[in-house]
Amino acid sequence: MSAPLLATEALGVRYGSFVALQDVTLRIAENSVHSIIGPNGAGKTTLFHALTGRIAPSGGRITLGGRDITRTSDHERVRLGLARSFQVTSLFPTLSVRENLRLAAQGKTPWQALPPWRRTEANRPALAMAEAMLERLDLTRVALRAAGELSHGQQRRLEVGMAMAAAPKVILLDEPTSGMGIDDIAAMTVLIRDLGRDHTVLFIEHNMGIVMNISDTVTVMRAGRVLVEGPPGRVRDDPEVRRAYLGNMITGDLVP
Amino acid sequence: MIPVLDRPLVQFGLATAAVLILPLVMRSGTLASEILIFGLAVAACNLLLGYTGLLSFGQGIFFGIGSYVAGLGLVRAGLPAPVMLAVSLSVGALVAAVVGWISIRRQGVYFVMLTLAFSQMFYFLAYTFSGITGGDNGFLDIPRPTLVGTRLTDPWTYYAYVAVLFLVLFAALQRVALSTFGRTLLAIRDNEARAGAIGYPVRAFKVAAFAISGAVTAFAGALHAMLIGVAPLSNIDYHTSETLLIMTIIGGSANLFASLLGAGAYLLAADALSAIWPRWLLALGLLLIVITLFLQRGLWGLIERAIVLVTQAPPPDDPARPVVTPPPVAHAPEVAR
Repeated sequence: MSAPLLATEALGVRYGSFVALQDVTLRIAENSVHSIIGPNGAGKTTLFHALTGRIAPSGGRITLGGRDITRTSDHERVRLGLARSFQVTSLFPTLSVRENLRLAAQGKTPWQALPPWRRTEANRPALAMAEAMLERLDLTRVALRAAGELSHGQQRRLEVGMAMAAAPKVILLDEPTSGMGIDDIAAMTVLIRDLGRDHTVLFIEHNMGIVMNISDTVTVMRAGRVLVEGPPGRVRDDPEVRRAYLGNMITGDLVP
Repeated sequence: MIPVLDRPLVQFGLATAAVLILPLVMRSGTLASEILIFGLAVAACNLLLGYTGLLSFGQGIFFGIGSYVAGLGLVRAGLPAPVMLAVSLSVGALVAAVVGWISIRRQGVYFVMLTLAFSQMFYFLAYTFSGITGGDNGFLDIPRPTLVGTRLTDPWTYYAYVAVLFLVLFAALQRVALSTFGRTLLAIRDNEARAGAIGYPVRAFKVAAFAISGAVTAFAGALHAMLIGVAPLSNIDYHTSETLLIMTIIGGSANLFASLLGAGAYLLAADALSAIWPRWLLALGLLLIVITLFLQRGLWGLIERAIVLVTQAPPPDDPARPVVTPPPVAHAPEVAR
């Protein structure tokens, strides 16, 4: 197997005396779709927070393309090629959809945005990226609407699009289909699968149908630890996973 | 929102029109100059409150420091007025960057408390070091600037001087607001956590916003000291911060011309009311309550609403209209253009 693009080594996170993550070792292969599943409270979102630099780990190491980023600030990690979407939609609600995407694309070179005399037109790649994302997310029609006025499904697509607009190497999606209707889920599934062709996608998901359909690798977490890891078929049939899920899983069926 | 009115040229045109109309309708050149000077300081306050979402009680510090720079620069150091004004810009930026850099370490209420604490601290510094600031009496005998050998003692001549500088700085602030930087500030105002998550070093942007706001506010403070010939202790008082914030809210946030409107409305109301009723601040309190409850977008929002009413909504029982009224959706694009 080739060297992983994103990896953790014995990663641990504590909130006071509570151990949220313990001894998590992950290898995310380049241009693959890697999903993380597990019951609520398993530490999935905490893992994301640690990977993106929102919280500092209490132990272990994180590497991106072989480079140690354990102590790198969150915005610096964006520059290095790590972007995420949020479980709870987090947009710029009064700004237009196009502006949301432009800001996300500009975020890759944030210091360029600091000189107060420079106009947005100066960053052509960011403008072009915003247009391309509008197209790809099927949001061109609502480009000028305020993001806060979009339907839930559109907002979720924009949420994922904001992570894509930074043209990251690794894209972390936290429950991209959360609260979506069936039609929107289908569109999102296609979007994530396509992303996996030229990006490395790590995503948390409760919808087992999507997980089993489009993942190359599935990691099952429970109580802050990695329980099982492997291709979807093997994970599905693992007796430990079946036991862990019985009665614990709020949403999603293990057998699609 | 009426996008046409938010266009930079329209905004600048409105500001220019206001500058030209004031001398025609007002008797006091001093009051007219004051409106422009406060309009500038309020626009700077708007950059923090309206664009970045930072409720800063530190604006009085920068305004007061600008006034003292005028006194010290013109009287003690004997600088020409243009040089002194440039100094006031840099000193204002520097002090604001330091105050901002420390205050933005906390958010929400704690941020506001920090700016309040700074405001108190600078007030007592100015009060204590009376050898430099004149203490309670203020820094006295600050001269008006000279232009081609004549001192601008006439109120309307000084007004012209202020007006030109006002328009230059107003345009500069517009440029800032429209820049990539200004638009990132709006993103920070909307959702600070996400702005950080998509890669922006939010603190650096906030400090820069403080520096720009502080520079312009100090500049306004210096113009004010030259206007009234003294840098009073009250200019650095927390009450000045409060007044600037009230003017910003009365005018409307995230719109620079609205700031001039807010300053003008406040000062004209104060001028008219204080002549007939010494307790006029009570009426101002009522006005502020009404605006906060019903007009959160300030006077500017009220004007926009009035324009929409006049230009868009036809009278409901107009006999000339066809019986079948088009659905309101049909009107939406017209409003949006």
